[in-house]
Amino acid sequence: MCSERAVDLIEVSMGIHDFSSEWMHCDRISSYVARMVCQTRADPLFSANLFSSALNELLEIVFLNHGADGDMTCRVRQMGDVDMIEIALPCDDETLEFYRDVVGSLDRHDIQDLYHAALFAEGQRDARLGIFELAVDYRAKISVLEQSGRMTLAAEIAFGGVQ
Amino acid sequence: MNFHIKRTFESGYNDNNQEFMISGKLRPQAEAEMVDLMHDIDQAATQVRGTFFLNVKRLAYVNNIAFRALSRVIARLSAREDLQIVIVTSGVLGWSTRKFSAIAAQADNVSVAEYDRDFYPGQSFLEDGGFIPILRTQTRLTWRHERELLAKHGLKPGMQVADICCGIGDFAALVNRAFAPARLLALDHSRSSLDYARKVAADFGMTDIEYVHGDASAIMIEDNSFDFVTCRHSLQIFDRPELILRELFRICKPGGRVYVTNEKISQCMGEPRGDSITAAYVEVAALFAHFKMDLEFGPKSRRALIDAGFADLRMDSFTVANTDGDPQEFAEMVTAWQDVFLNEMARDRGDSPELVALMQRGLQDHITAALHPTGYAGWPVWAASGQKPL
Repeated sequence: MCSERAVDLIEVSMGIHDFSSEWMHCDRISSYVARMVCQTRADPLFSANLFSSALNELLEIVFLNHGADGDMTCRVRQMGDVDMIEIALPCDDETLEFYRDVVGSLDRHDIQDLYHAALFAEGQRDARLGIFELAVDYRAKISVLEQSGRMTLAAEIAFGGVQ
Repeated sequence: MNFHIKRTFESGYNDNNQEFMISGKLRPQAEAEMVDLMHDIDQAATQVRGTFFLNVKRLAYVNNIAFRALSRVIARLSAREDLQIVIVTSGVLGWSTRKFSAIAAQADNVSVAEYDRDFYPGQSFLEDGGFIPILRTQTRLTWRHERELLAKHGLKPGMQVADICCGIGDFAALVNRAFAPARLLALDHSRSSLDYARKVAADFGMTDIEYVHGDASAIMIEDNSFDFVTCRHSLQIFDRPELILRELFRICKPGGRVYVTNEKISQCMGEPRGDSITAAYVEVAALFAHFKMDLEFGPKSRRALIDAGFADLRMDSFTVANTDGDPQEFAEMVTAWQDVFLNEMARDRGDSPELVALMQRGLQDHITAALHPTGYAGWPVWAASGQKPL
């Protein structure tokens, strides 16, 4: 999205067991990271609110979909106006397939309809919902990279262009 | 109003307004955690005839689990043909209006109203880019008085300071220079004003002022955050100043002070031609009142602060005058007022040519008085502050 060099902003790491032992970890990590990342931005409160909202959805998905052992690392880098959120996590075949399927569906021309259908569907929540939201409402570029039993879920978002 | 304090959010129903309000953070792990809230909304709606307002303007965070639960209860209620549902969102939150609009698109009797846009009647007159030079002149003129007054009202170097309704941010920049606060946050709901403020700060090499977009009646800042909170010339242009004072009180630390300034425009005076000047400004006050702005608020500040819960009130008034410094600056300020008051506001109210002429003549006489070698022209301002009790 941008030819500038990425700048590391923050990295938070914890064992996946610890992370997934308490739902509020998603809220606390997203709130903390957003506050730290956005504190020097033009409108820190506005930016942090948007950033936290997006990151929390990613973390909630990771909370529910991850492999058995290893660390969960959330790293944020910045490249120009684009924030790059990278969540590295342990994965098994099933987890990897889930993320690859979701990301594969984001190129569909009817992704907005898919997102709204998932948002308002009766019954169980669609596990893909948060990623759909980031792709549609935040215009995030989302990708998955696998490497020897671990994977990285990455989202590139230009928060300045979200509103 | 019955409020139920929950872990991360508050909710309550106000039957006077047929409004159910949710504020704070909704990030549950399961929809089951939303059952009580959904029940409360359902119960509230049973009492409503006509329009049911679901106020989420201070709901800072909502995850998709909570959002789906909210959408379901709204869908249920929208089946009632006798009911109009208005979801009140805030433009201060980048996601809120867009996200809740998706719910509104699901049913004809559900709509979204962005609160900030409706809350500031007449404010558009004052946000127009053409008004910026006059605001800078006004601040320059009042600063001559306020610099000393601020110290008298308790502002000291090293404090945590917030300037709410900061406008174009010039007052915050002056405070930054004169009082070296440990933290200075400047908040306004006008993005164009904030853009201007950031540009001015950058031009002056100031990187330590936090310019924040926000709604003064629902500030997204924790309680008890600041030692000194200022809000200048702003209570007078909102039709419900008590809502803003409540927020100023909330974000002020116990023992800290809130400082407000306001005018009583009808007491603008000058000589020669004093009668003409007075007659014009009495009409100007009525003109603002038509647009729900009380430019007579100045002397009411003391009562308003007491009603909001403040103690140790301090009250001063000062008159910005042509004799303070450069009379031309005073004249330029009144010239700019003429433009806004007469060319925009009076026209929008549909004033008669006679009434416009009366105001035009009086303001012109005020300018003449300011520039007259032996004339005097004044603009009175009231400064009041109160302490948040420990």
